[in-house]
Amino acid sequence: MADALFLAISVLTIGSAIAALEMRSLVYGSIALMGTLGGVAGFYVMLDSPFVAMFQLAVYVGSIAVLILFTVMLVKRELIFKKIEDPKRKFAGIGLMLIVILALGAIIMDSGIKTISTDSDPVDFREIGGDFLVYYWPALILMALILAGSVMGALVLARREDTIENEQ
Amino acid sequence: MSVIAPKFRLGYFLKGIFDNAFWILTIVTLAGIPAIQIALFFAPLPVIDGQLLTAFLAFTWLFNPTMQVPLIKALIYSDLFRIAAFPGFGFAVLIAAATIFVERKMLAKLQLRVGPFYCGKIEGILQLAGDGLKLISKEIIIPAKADKPLFWAAPVLFVGTAAAFVALIPVAPGGWVVADLDVGLLAVFAVIGFFPIITILSAWSANSKFPFIGGIRALHQMVSFEIPLILSLLGVVILTGTLNLSEIVESQSSFPWIIFMPIGAIVFFTTMLAELERIPFDLPEAESEIVAGWLTEFSGMMYGLVQLGSYLKLYAFAALFVIIFLGGWTGPVFWPPLETELITEGIPIPNYAGDPILTVNTPGLPLLDKDPNEWVLQQQGELQYTSGQLLVSGVIWFVLKTVGVIFFILLPRGVFPRIRLDMLLHIGWYKLIGLSFVNIFIALGLVYAGVIGPGGIL
Repeated sequence: MADALFLAISVLTIGSAIAALEMRSLVYGSIALMGTLGGVAGFYVMLDSPFVAMFQLAVYVGSIAVLILFTVMLVKRELIFKKIEDPKRKFAGIGLMLIVILALGAIIMDSGIKTISTDSDPVDFREIGGDFLVYYWPALILMALILAGSVMGALVLARREDTIENEQ
Repeated sequence: MSVIAPKFRLGYFLKGIFDNAFWILTIVTLAGIPAIQIALFFAPLPVIDGQLLTAFLAFTWLFNPTMQVPLIKALIYSDLFRIAAFPGFGFAVLIAAATIFVERKMLAKLQLRVGPFYCGKIEGILQLAGDGLKLISKEIIIPAKADKPLFWAAPVLFVGTAAAFVALIPVAPGGWVVADLDVGLLAVFAVIGFFPIITILSAWSANSKFPFIGGIRALHQMVSFEIPLILSLLGVVILTGTLNLSEIVESQSSFPWIIFMPIGAIVFFTTMLAELERIPFDLPEAESEIVAGWLTEFSGMMYGLVQLGSYLKLYAFAALFVIIFLGGWTGPVFWPPLETELITEGIPIPNYAGDPILTVNTPGLPLLDKDPNEWVLQQQGELQYTSGQLLVSGVIWFVLKTVGVIFFILLPRGVFPRIRLDMLLHIGWYKLIGLSFVNIFIALGLVYAGVIGPGGIL
């Protein structure tokens, strides 16, 4: 059952990733990208970490994909992109992808991933939260400050003087 | 004089009936029965009284008066019932339908009109059924230059996402929820994130200017109000230390969180109105500016599906407000408590001399308990209730509170005008986010002052 699910999610993820690259329509390409990100969330669920899976869905599918869709819809495709049909480039791309995948696979297989036991209990997300608040609190506070600073910066940049004067 | 069927002939009528019966029988025999048998092969069958409940046995017991109650109980405690009927889709659709009708009548009363009046003798009570029949029987028109796959898929996806949201809502004590997740609240955030995608895709696929303007507005509104929505609920998570919605409800057995976090409740209610596209935030559907916003090109049952999805979403949001701030199903139990001996040993009936001659067992009392041989008694204070009693009382409290919240969601539609887009974004990005941070600081203050939380006073 788990193997069938793993295969199904793998096919979904890789297939929609290829579709995202190959689709001529940008909107359908971004939908396929959503499929890829959702498939990664499915892998997280299979790895007993629903916390990360839900964040993957909420952040990547819910926000990043919406951002991409929003950008794509406001752009006229014909004016920017020219079709380049060149079989040499295509084969070169596929070959490069195969080399990269083989290299990554070799590295991962050489690492200690085989020695990890697979039937250990999943880590509770409450423990991860506790670790963040106890051991890694300076990093957490630094990240919070950077995020707050970037949000404030965005608000300042987006601030329009004329509308505020109109309201007064 | 108009006649409904001017060329009516009894022979054609009977032929039509026989034709239909023939085709139905043929299709059921060739496809339906094999499909049922294949499904039964994979479906987990319940065990009643030590006997595996096969389909044949179920049909037999259907006509056996002593086995009907266990049969119904086995049905009620099956996963299919949970998904399709009670805490899941059917229950939510009933509340959504009631919401549509009440909204129309209530707005009419607020604006000194009568509202739906003719369908059904009493206050137009059948108007909803009439509208549903109309929507089903109308033609579905697809715009010629629409992107057809996306345009067809959008209403279905919308209803599906709303149903996924409904599936996360716990309704009654004892695990009456379709999907009881440890990360329930995060799952709610993830599901809410899908609505803007579906909205903008359907708006784009219609290939028409009004839906596109409405879709862009909806995207602005939903994306910018999602942040205060998430932040306003974090205070409760800090106080309870859990993301499981059932545990959040059980943490409010003595007082609801709205007492400590009224600011969070107000922020969540406002963002809820914006996410549901209701007045005063109904810019995506502004009917006086852009026809019907992103719903303009939908017709027939596709429009019906989108409306069904949006009312399911309304119910789910109201239920989420009840669960997080108003204490969900907690409340005084309506039923009188039962003596334990009354259930476990029965009622002794004396004869004229006072000697007990027979004992009346009352298996009907804990009607909704799972197994009639194991009385599930639960202590609440000093009183003892069966889990069936707690279930009924919890559902009544939950529905009462949810209906109250839905009333307050509907109310602004009769009162407020629509606000401008820049004012909406200003409210979302400046005021609500600031207020939700104030709410988080209140929660942190309560925890660190030792009032609530682990080792707190309360």
